[in-house]
Amino acid sequence: MKLIFGGAYQGKLEYAEKNYDIKTVFDCGAGATPEAPGTEPDFGKDAVCALEKFVLKCVRDGVEAADYFKENKEKWQDKVLILTDVSQGIVPMDAELRAFREMNGRLMLYLAAEADEVVRVFCGIGKRVK
Amino acid sequence: MNIFISGGCKNGKSYYAQRRAKEMAESLGVPLYYIATMIPHDDEDRARIKRHISEREGWGFETIEQGLALTEILHNDDVDKNGVFLMDSVTALLDNEMFDEKGNIDEAAPERVKRDVLDFAAGTGNTVFVSDYIYGDAGYYSETVEGYRRGLAAADRALTEVCEEVIEIAYGTEERWK
Repeated sequence: MKLIFGGAYQGKLEYAEKNYDIKTVFDCGAGATPEAPGTEPDFGKDAVCALEKFVLKCVRDGVEAADYFKENKEKWQDKVLILTDVSQGIVPMDAELRAFREMNGRLMLYLAAEADEVVRVFCGIGKRVK
Repeated sequence: MNIFISGGCKNGKSYYAQRRAKEMAESLGVPLYYIATMIPHDDEDRARIKRHISEREGWGFETIEQGLALTEILHNDDVDKNGVFLMDSVTALLDNEMFDEKGNIDEAAPERVKRDVLDFAAGTGNTVFVSDYIYGDAGYYSETVEGYRRGLAAADRALTEVCEEVIEIAYGTEERWK
């Protein structure tokens, strides 16, 4: 598995599409709004992006996102996984967002440990960190 | 050489950028300009500007006040376009171009600022651009704020394509991206 992370609007998906053989992408954040969080990943696609939107759904459903990935481990071994790092900036006032920020961090830790490659994208530029 | 510098707030970006700009101007033997982008709205802003001015004292910068329409500098006969420019910051420029004091929002500003910074980089060839990394938050923002973040990211990414060096400053340390 390849993990691509970085801040919002940094060009993570464009980077992934340029550097890996990706024909199909599942976007967990398609149609997501603050009221309606993202959807469960479809690992039938080559890449899954906006995983952080799925993490928000996990927070609302009372599920630990990293546990979901552990339980479905065989499904994403050959995938490119893309998520937004939301660990910087201000600690949110909202309790749900604080939980989201931390759960997203735990998922990143798990996925980074499992990945064969980890790439951080900064202003459109990728750098392999693992 | 054009240089793009970004990173979190209060991490030492401006100090690093001043140093790089000064070194470049000295090695080329050309004038050194500071483009002041902040338009003061209150006493807090005025105090901040005063602090910035005192921090630049003795560095040899000539200050150009340009909070809007960056490329006007390229048509200013008093400015040597072969000089070195410190443009601090893209963030403030987009802020000024996008929001006015009456609360109006100019949705065309992100595209205009992106074009202006690219034209400025091409027109000078020796500019140090400073931006702010505001993309790591977990909060929900209004569509206006997201439009601003998206717009700044687009300008940042356009600049990283054309700048010869891209540097992230994190707590005073330097991470070279290009």
